[in-house]
Amino acid sequence: MLNLLDTSFDHCIKCNVCTTRCPVAEANPDYPGPKQAGPDGERLRIKNPQLYDEALKYCTNCKRCEVACPSGVQVGTVIQRAKAKHGGFHQGPREFILSHTDLVGTLSSTAAPVVNVATGLKPVKTLLDKVLGIDKRQSLPKYSRQTFRAWFDPDRQTKFERKICFFHGCFTNYNDPTVGKHLVAVLNAMNIGVTLLKKEKCCGVPLMANGFFARARNNAQLNLGQFADKLNDNNRVECIIATEPSCAMTLRDEYPEVLQVDNYALRDRILFASAFIARELADGNVPKMKPVNLRVAYHSPCHLIKQGGVIHTMELLNGIPGLEVVMLDQKCCGMSGTYGFKKENYQTSQRIGEAVFDQLTTMDVDYVVTDCESCKMQIEMNTGYKVLHPITVMAQSLA
Amino acid sequence: MKYDVIVIGGGLAGLTSAIRCAEAGLKSVVISAGESALAFASGAIDVLGFDQHQSPIEDPFGHIKQLPAGHPYHKIGTESLRQSLAFFQAQMAAAGLTMGSHGQINHGRLTALGAMRPAWFSQKGAHTFSLAAPAAGIRHVAVVNLAGFRDFQPTLVAAGLSRQPGFADVAFTLADIKAETLNINARNAYELRSLELARTLKRDLFTQPNGLHILSSALQKAARNADLVVIPSVLAVAGGNDLMVELEQLSGLRICEVATLPPSLPGMRMAAALQQRFRHAGGLFLEGDQVLGGHFEQNRLLSINTRLNQDISMSASHFVLATGSFFSLGLVSDRHELKEPVFGLSVNGTADREQWSEECFMGGGQHRFSHTGVITDASLNPCYIGQTINNLYCVGAVLDGFNPVQAGCAGGVAIGTGWFAAERIISAMAHTPVRQVQEIC
Repeated sequence: MLNLLDTSFDHCIKCNVCTTRCPVAEANPDYPGPKQAGPDGERLRIKNPQLYDEALKYCTNCKRCEVACPSGVQVGTVIQRAKAKHGGFHQGPREFILSHTDLVGTLSSTAAPVVNVATGLKPVKTLLDKVLGIDKRQSLPKYSRQTFRAWFDPDRQTKFERKICFFHGCFTNYNDPTVGKHLVAVLNAMNIGVTLLKKEKCCGVPLMANGFFARARNNAQLNLGQFADKLNDNNRVECIIATEPSCAMTLRDEYPEVLQVDNYALRDRILFASAFIARELADGNVPKMKPVNLRVAYHSPCHLIKQGGVIHTMELLNGIPGLEVVMLDQKCCGMSGTYGFKKENYQTSQRIGEAVFDQLTTMDVDYVVTDCESCKMQIEMNTGYKVLHPITVMAQSLA
Repeated sequence: MKYDVIVIGGGLAGLTSAIRCAEAGLKSVVISAGESALAFASGAIDVLGFDQHQSPIEDPFGHIKQLPAGHPYHKIGTESLRQSLAFFQAQMAAAGLTMGSHGQINHGRLTALGAMRPAWFSQKGAHTFSLAAPAAGIRHVAVVNLAGFRDFQPTLVAAGLSRQPGFADVAFTLADIKAETLNINARNAYELRSLELARTLKRDLFTQPNGLHILSSALQKAARNADLVVIPSVLAVAGGNDLMVELEQLSGLRICEVATLPPSLPGMRMAAALQQRFRHAGGLFLEGDQVLGGHFEQNRLLSINTRLNQDISMSASHFVLATGSFFSLGLVSDRHELKEPVFGLSVNGTADREQWSEECFMGGGQHRFSHTGVITDASLNPCYIGQTINNLYCVGAVLDGFNPVQAGCAGGVAIGTGWFAAERIISAMAHTPVRQVQEIC
């Protein structure tokens, strides 16, 4: 049987570098660290599934172990797959609500004013804390009354000869359409039109993080079918663009690696927004911009580091006139999507983020800039700073 | 995307080069395929430790002229080497890492196997022995472990050290400070690696107001008035050097911190200090990506592609290849050849597999593969399909012509060649306007 198994975890030379970089292992002594949870544990689990360690639930899937591994072991993926295989996920109503972002989003945005007021109320937060285990100290994301899709006007995009397709993701659609609106403004200023998929499902990040793999796989297949329709259509849609690093990483890397859904034919045409824009800027397609006269601190999200995208965002930011960018140490903020909302993770999540919060308190900047909505929530909650998406800063500079 | 300099490899050589370039105002980026060999290294720097007869050298600079032709030191010259070491020491100091030395001669640094390796710089907190008389003033050594830590064996340290000159008559005390004594709460303390132990100590011991006192008295008790107390480097990563000084003052003991099996905390400190200096100078450090190849035209490298950005090439005026040796996969072997995998640059390895190594691996002979590396000219420019590439510099362990382990010169070669390449690049770029360096707080 063994030859049918993926044994690439055995490239591990047991150097412990992954554990030195694991934000969870540093903050929570109950987590044995990626080496033991990943490649070491895998050997045991192959031998006897009973040897599965419950402590794997603490992994946030930040992927820093994979970034650091000198031997190219996909440590995080080994852990994710082990959790999936050995029932390592607790799946109660809380997990369902936190992970089914598109379903919950549809329901909540229709009743946005009520939901937003309710989830801000102390008794409701206490109730959610007690009944569901969603930590009351966390601010819950607000919902937008008008979804991004409802705001988007395809007729205004027809005049552009070049076109891309925007994968907006759940947050932009249901919670805060700002980044989506700004992307449209920026691309239009670069003479590129925006289209949307006929139908878009959640990329699957929160579903995988909460163990709903079958559902995530269905979403992956649906999304890839939609991508194929868009990209193979002869109305020349150049590529699919996502503004959320975790969505982009999932569409490009997690579909084949974790969900085993083949995206090979399309992968090169699925891009993180800054990668596309940085390439356009390098090719001379620079929109008219005026100086923004801002000094910002840039926080690089884990999943953007993992996909090699930090360089593109830095290029984008460096291309904005009058913007001074100070790069923060590349540390994890600790939120990790739905992780930080769970009561049992709150303390770990805060401890992980301390380095980022502490560094920010020593700084004198106008804003913090980051690509990730989850990092944004965590940083805004724990520092006095307002956090902007790089595309938003670029949109502000448009002349 | 266009840079002044792209450095491939984020270890000692690559970052030394990158820091120098970024400081000079060049737009610099480092691409690193995961953690470098620094996390496996001692955190000390050797320049030249042994002569051809394997005898320790006290004066490395005096011995450089005796090195075989083709050694990287002959290409960069002793003056560059001296300047690069001064540069490195200043950079480390600016990052808060004090590198001690014995002036213009080597000192001895103790290893976890009780060996004495000649070194040029050692981190504060590591005892620097006199090479000529290492046991001077030492009649009694205590080797003290913490919480049954398994990656440091006092017996081995004592066995090795007692064979060093002058140590035959020195008394040894071996001890282990129990987890209970330190009040640290780990289910299986003996299962912890160095960093995990450091994290546990930080959480359970050093957060207590009298934490350092508890450790200090435990050490005093275990050391039994020894002249030198050897402990594994497990106390702390950040601030670990200052902690050693505090502990010495508090206990009145002379303490020597020794790097353990990986992860090596002193090595991690050095890696963090280098990265911090690079960021401070405005450089961009990209980790977890791998350069797959480049686009060459005539005798220049124009651009590179990486695993994560295969369809977007990155171009630069100059490139530095600092990918390390076999351990770091800067050199690889297959059944038929030894090669440089990123670009396929010419290496000096023979095709005859039988010749790569000595029959007896630990026989003390010089394995040929240790001398294998990229062939370069006097400017450290390599050769690609018969053409010298003028804007690509090879630095550190990827170079040919030296055996870093045998000669004890890995650190000096990394820093020296890294700095030398940066100087060549800076002078080549001198005619182009210098970008304003952004000071980062």
